[in-house]
Amino acid sequence: MLKLTDITIQLHETCLFKNFNASIPTGEVLSIMGPSGCGKSTLLDFLSGSIADTFKTSGQINLNNKELSHLPIEKRHVGILYQESLLFPHLSNLENLMFAIPETIKGKQRAELALEKLSEFNLADKAHTLPAYLSGGQKARISLLRTLLSEPKYLLLDEPFGKLDKALRQEVREFVIAQIETIKLPTILVTHDQDDADAMGGTLVQLTR
Amino acid sequence: MSLKLVNFIIVLSISVFMLIGILGIIAPAFHYLPAIGANEISLDPWKELFLAPEFISSIILTLISGVTATFLSLMIAFSVVAAFYDSKILSIFRKSLAPILAIPHAAIAIGLLFLLSPSGWLIRLFTTFERPPNWITIQDPYTLSLIFALVVKETPYLIFVILACLPQLKTDETLKVGRSMGYNVATIWQKILLPMIYPLIRLPVFIVLAFSLTVVDLALIIGPNTPSTFAVTIFRWFKDADLNERFSASAGAVFLMLFIFVIFIIWELAYRLLYFCSKKKLTTGNRSNLSQSFFQLLGSLYFFILISVILSSIILLLWSFAKRWRFPDILPSTWSFRNIERNITLLNDLSFNTLTIAISSNIIALIISLALLEAKRQQSCKKTLFDRLIYLPILLPQVGFLFGIQILFIKSGISGHFLSVIILHVFYTLPYVYLTLHSPYLAFNQNYLVQACALTHKPYKSFLQIKLAMLKAPIFSAFAIGFSVSIAQYLPTLIAGNGLINTLTTEAVTLASSGERKLVSLLALIQAFFPLIVFMLAIWLPKVWTPARLALKHYLYMRFSDSHSYTIKN
Repeated sequence: MLKLTDITIQLHETCLFKNFNASIPTGEVLSIMGPSGCGKSTLLDFLSGSIADTFKTSGQINLNNKELSHLPIEKRHVGILYQESLLFPHLSNLENLMFAIPETIKGKQRAELALEKLSEFNLADKAHTLPAYLSGGQKARISLLRTLLSEPKYLLLDEPFGKLDKALRQEVREFVIAQIETIKLPTILVTHDQDDADAMGGTLVQLTR
Repeated sequence: MSLKLVNFIIVLSISVFMLIGILGIIAPAFHYLPAIGANEISLDPWKELFLAPEFISSIILTLISGVTATFLSLMIAFSVVAAFYDSKILSIFRKSLAPILAIPHAAIAIGLLFLLSPSGWLIRLFTTFERPPNWITIQDPYTLSLIFALVVKETPYLIFVILACLPQLKTDETLKVGRSMGYNVATIWQKILLPMIYPLIRLPVFIVLAFSLTVVDLALIIGPNTPSTFAVTIFRWFKDADLNERFSASAGAVFLMLFIFVIFIIWELAYRLLYFCSKKKLTTGNRSNLSQSFFQLLGSLYFFILISVILSSIILLLWSFAKRWRFPDILPSTWSFRNIERNITLLNDLSFNTLTIAISSNIIALIISLALLEAKRQQSCKKTLFDRLIYLPILLPQVGFLFGIQILFIKSGISGHFLSVIILHVFYTLPYVYLTLHSPYLAFNQNYLVQACALTHKPYKSFLQIKLAMLKAPIFSAFAIGFSVSIAQYLPTLIAGNGLINTLTTEAVTLASSGERKLVSLLALIQAFFPLIVFMLAIWLPKVWTPARLALKHYLYMRFSDSHSYTIKN
C-alpha cells in the first residue's frame, strides 16, 4: 500500500497541493487528471524523489509502512514511465532491459532473463535491434518491461500514452493494465485523457488550476 | 536569378577554390611549379622532407600536443557537464563561455605567455626570486605550455557544444529513469549520457583535433621552437627566402593533410574499440560504477582554465598601461598612457584594417548563408552538397591549403590587396556563420512570411521586415561569431595580404616573442576587445531593437504629427 499523507507542494507564493491525502492499495491505480500546469507532473516528481529545489514540500510518503520522503530517487525503488519511451538509443533492446535488471542477477542469467521477458511479449525478434527500429507501440511495451525488470515497489505513469494514436493507445493501455494487475503494484497515473482514467479503474482525482 | 542558380554558383565557386588550393599544394609537392621554372615531376621534395633532421621530432611533438590537448579538453568538458549539471556552478560556467570563445586564441596565448614565462606574473606572485629563474615554463620542448594553451581555448568550445546537445537527449528524464532504477548520477552519465553525447559531438571533436594538430599562430607564440610542431616547421619552410624550400614545404603540407586524416581514423577506431570493450560493463547492473567525485575532480580543472583566462586578460591590461615594471615587482611601479600615445597611428591603422576586413567579410558571409539557407528551405531542407563541403575549410590545415591559394592570388594580381584578404576571411567565417544560422533559419515558421506576403503583396519587403526582423537574434549571433573568427585569422591575412596588409592579429603574433611586451599586450588587448564588444552587442541589440524602434517611431509621430508633413507608415 502506498499512502500519501498531507502532501503540500508550493512554488514561491503558489500552492500547488495542500494537505493532499491518498491511499493506493497494491494492484490499484490512482488516476490524476487536470489541465496543463496544475501540478500533476510536479506531484509525480515529488513522489519519485526528483522534485526541483525551487519547490517547498512537506508531507509523508509511506510504502508498506516505510517512510520514503527523505530518500533519494535511487533508493526508493520507483518505476517511472513518461510519454517518451526514453529507451537508450545506443543500447539494443535486450541491453536496455539488461541495464534495468538488479545487480544481484549476474552473468548470463541477465541476458536470459531479458530475453525470456521479450519472448513473453512476442518481441524476441527485436532483442538485438536498436530502439530506433521499433514502432511506437513496441517502444512503449519495452519501456514498461524495462521499468518492471528493475523491480520497482510502486509505479508512476506520467501520461505514458500521450504520444500514441488512438488505436495504439488502446492497445498499449490494455497491455499496461494487464501488467499492473499481474505484478500488483500501487500505481499513480497522470493523464489529460478521460478514457485513460476510465480504463484504469480505481480512484480518480480531478485537479483544477 | 533564382536561388537555385545562386546556390549552384556559390557551391561551384567554393569547390573550385578548394580544389585550386589543394592542387596548388600537391603540384609543388611533386616538384611541379612552373612559376619558378620547376617543370619536371619528381619525388625529390618527399625525399628531402623525410630526410629533414626535424621531421620526426616535429611530427612527434605535433602528435603529442594535438592529441593530448584534444583528449584533455574533451575529458574536462564532459566532466564539467556531468559533475555540475543542473547546478549554479554550471550556470556560472555557461556565462563564461561566450567571452572566452570571443577572445582570439592569439590574445589568450600572449596573455598566458606573460603569465607563465620565468619573468611572468605567476613567478612574481608566488615566488621570492630576485631574478627570473632559469626555468623553461613556456615554449618548452615537451609542448606542455602549448597543450595548456590549447586546452584553455578548446575546452569552453566543447562545453558549449555539449550543452547545445543536451535538450535533444532529454537529460532530465533520462537521469530520473536511471536513478529510479537505482543508478547513481555519475554512473548514468558514464553508461548512458556520455555515450549518447559523443556521436553528436564527433564533428566538433574532429574540428578541435584538426585545429590542435595544425595550429600555427598559437604554436609560434607559446609552442616549442627547436624543433617546433610540424605545422610551424612547414610554415618556416614556406617563408624561407630559398624558393627550393617551398617544394619540401609543399610535400610537408600534403603529408600533414594525410597525417590528420590518419589521426582521425585512429581516433575513431580507438573510440570504437573503447566502446566495444566497455559495452559489456554497461549492462552488468553495477549501480555505482563511478563516483561523482571523479567528474567533480576533473570538472573542477575548468576553474583553473577560467582563472588562467582572467589572469591573462588582467596581465595584458597591466602591461598595456605600465610605464616601468621591473622583476620581481608584482605591479608596475609607474603607469602611463604613453604606450598608446606613442603607437596611436599604428593602432589606428591596424584597427581600421582589422575592422574593415572583419565587417565586410562577415556581411558577405551572412548574405551567402541567407541565400543558401533560403535555397535549402525551398528544397524541403534536404541535405545539400554545401552541407558536406562547409566543414572542409575548418578541417583542412591552413598551412598547406593557403600556400596553394597564394599562387592563385599572385596569378590573378590581387595578392596583397584587401580583396584577397576579404575573400579568404569569407572562406573561413562562412562555415561558422552558416552553421550558427542553420537551425534557427530552418525552424522559422514560414506561415508568418506567407501571412505577410498575403497582406502586403510585397515579398521582398515582407522578407526583410518580417522574416529577417524576427530572426535578428540568430543573425546578430552569427555575425558576432563570424566576427571573432575573422579577427583571430593569422595565416589567411598574412598570406593573402602578402605582408602588405597587417591586422592586430598578424602584428601581435609577429611581435609576440620580440620582447616588446607593452606594445604586444596593447595589440592583444584591442584584439580581444573588439569581439567582446560585438558579442555584447549581439546579445543586447535584439532585446532593445523593437522597443527602441517603437520609441523612435512614437517620437517622430509626436514631433511631426501636427505639421502634417510626416505620416506614419506601418
